[in-house]
Amino acid sequence: MLQVVGCSHHNTAIELREKLAFSPAQTPDALDRWRRVFPRTEAVLLSTCNRVEIYSASEADVEPSLEQAASFLADFHGLDAKLIIQHLYLHSDEAAVRHLFTVASSLDSMVVGEPQILGQVKEAYQTAMLQENTGPLLHSVFQAALHAARRVASETAIHQRRVSIPSVAVADFGRQIFERFDDKHVVVIGAGEMAAETLRYLREEGAHQITIINRSFQRASELAPHWHGRAIAWDQLHEALATADLIVSTTGAGEPIVRLADFQRIERARFGRPLFILDLGVPRDFDPAIGARPDVYLYSIDDLQEACLRNKALRDKEFPHAMRIIDQETALFMTEWRHRAVAPVIEQLRRGWRKPMEDELKRLLNKLPNLDDRARDEIRQSFDRLVNKLLPPPLESLRDESSRGVPRALIEALAKLFKLKD
Amino acid sequence: MLSRVGIICFAASYAIVLAMEVSRLVFRSGIRGAIMIAWAGAGLFAHTVYLYYRAVNTTGVPLSSWQDWCLAAAWALMAVYLYLLFFHPQTSIGLFLLPIVLGLIATAAFFAGVTPFPREPASKVWGVIHGASLVAAAVSMLLGLAAGLMYLWQTRRLKQKRPLGQGLRLPSLEWLQRTNHRAIIIALIMLGIGVLGGMILNSIDHRPGQDRLPLSDPLVLSTIIMFFWLSAAVVVSLAYKPARQGRKVVYLTLISFVFLAAALVMGLSLDTRHGGRRNIEKSNVQERERQEKLEKG
Repeated sequence: MLQVVGCSHHNTAIELREKLAFSPAQTPDALDRWRRVFPRTEAVLLSTCNRVEIYSASEADVEPSLEQAASFLADFHGLDAKLIIQHLYLHSDEAAVRHLFTVASSLDSMVVGEPQILGQVKEAYQTAMLQENTGPLLHSVFQAALHAARRVASETAIHQRRVSIPSVAVADFGRQIFERFDDKHVVVIGAGEMAAETLRYLREEGAHQITIINRSFQRASELAPHWHGRAIAWDQLHEALATADLIVSTTGAGEPIVRLADFQRIERARFGRPLFILDLGVPRDFDPAIGARPDVYLYSIDDLQEACLRNKALRDKEFPHAMRIIDQETALFMTEWRHRAVAPVIEQLRRGWRKPMEDELKRLLNKLPNLDDRARDEIRQSFDRLVNKLLPPPLESLRDESSRGVPRALIEALAKLFKLKD
Repeated sequence: MLSRVGIICFAASYAIVLAMEVSRLVFRSGIRGAIMIAWAGAGLFAHTVYLYYRAVNTTGVPLSSWQDWCLAAAWALMAVYLYLLFFHPQTSIGLFLLPIVLGLIATAAFFAGVTPFPREPASKVWGVIHGASLVAAAVSMLLGLAAGLMYLWQTRRLKQKRPLGQGLRLPSLEWLQRTNHRAIIIALIMLGIGVLGGMILNSIDHRPGQDRLPLSDPLVLSTIIMFFWLSAAVVVSLAYKPARQGRKVVYLTLISFVFLAAALVMGLSLDTRHGGRRNIEKSNVQERERQEKLEKG
């Protein structure tokens, strides 16, 4: 049986999620402890900023209950199990498979389509493998999850549609202007969460030449180490504009800090180099007329929000298609899973009846040595038909029960009734 | 007849790939990229076999006719496209390159009857160098043209603040600008080698009374003007920084293409030392006489 126990941004506040989260250093210890507490259960631990989940599987159907899993999490983090159990969910078998496939495909993420989750799922799986916490059950379901995620990525555009302003700015527009960011000079004017978030995306793209300008040089100096940049004084703004390739502006000043006339004065010094300006200030920091200058690409927060809304609508259109892929992959996986559970029993049943049939046939043919070949064939065929008529009913029952889940009770009953052995 | 069938084979493959490029604008597919690579590869293979067949079985050497010249240029462009398709599968470069490839093939088929280049000069080493480097220069300028058009399209989209379209993903402006700039420089180098090769060839084959540098030949004249234009464009872009940034590079490339197109039109439609349409009857008569002489032994 396969199971997932955990909490996510859907049902749990960030404060509790932070307390339940496992750092990369804690994960191996947690898996080790899990193996000691639940020795016959495979486990993978997925811990991100938006979810903490434990995927477990056992051939012997000894997965921990919700209470046991809650106790495990509470004990590890020094919390009260009664407080956390109400925030946990538990999915089993097909629901657990569907949940994993949905999570890996980023369809359950806070920002649907964000690409980081697939890497996080892979990392969680690889860590569990290294810790020897995985077995055949989790191997097959995680491999299938990665396959489902790749199908969603290649057959839908859901990952291509960014819906946050900083990610739209960098991915949809920045990467269409610049091939690389590691040799680009980024100038940040002002401070704020949006600027920080945009810088994060830019650093992920390789940007590292960052200049921070603020009306208060002290403030710029405080931000510089935090943003991995250098601070300069406000009166050096125009020099910075002349050498910048990318500007992120969030001053929120009452009127534009760079007017068209100011920009035209520094234009010559730019030698026609393309300039990408993200004017995230409200009201705008840059005169909109600057956007009409050759080789200047100026985007205000309204432009980016419009792009975000368009992307969100397109992403929402792709969502049903993505879920259909999840449904297909889940159904395929469950069919294979059940077949794998039932196939050994079917094979044992066939062998179990074939052997006595062969022995009896041999005994009979030895007792009737004068039979011609035609008669021998007829007898052999009769014995075969007899066995083939006896087998279908139990096999059909197994198949019928399989459509509702792994028919463990029926498999055990058959094994006991017919004394089936491996 | 066989040659027409051969041309149709690889041209059809390329047309199918172009259709698949267009289909990217309409719907997504996980396997389309692999199919496109397969079709483009198959077409290029057929194209290679065709050129080899022509080189082995036709009198003369490769690039000794306008048809061969156009087909060789198409082959080189297709090879570049296949490389880009393999390493940049997400971009729709084919929408710009494949029409140029098909245009060259159509030109080759349409102007198949144009008088080929004079055999003796074409068969010499310097003749091959002259022809091959001019093909390379043309291919470079055509690549620059495709990159330039993509740059203008991309700039317009970004200025209008339109997000990425369904299927139409172009390379970044920086990549296109760099490709443009490199295309002009490579075109200049190849053109320089071609012009030099032509001058050396002319010296080898020089007959009394003939111009050493036949500036009265429209094709020669247009090629030399193109060479000087490209030289000026490259010198200006190296000396004056704004000329190698942004749209200025694109305009240089587009003007270079105009020179190339003019040279091609002159070569195909006028009577020049590199063959031409008007001399076709005279050339056919000369060819028949030559064949008769060979048979008589």
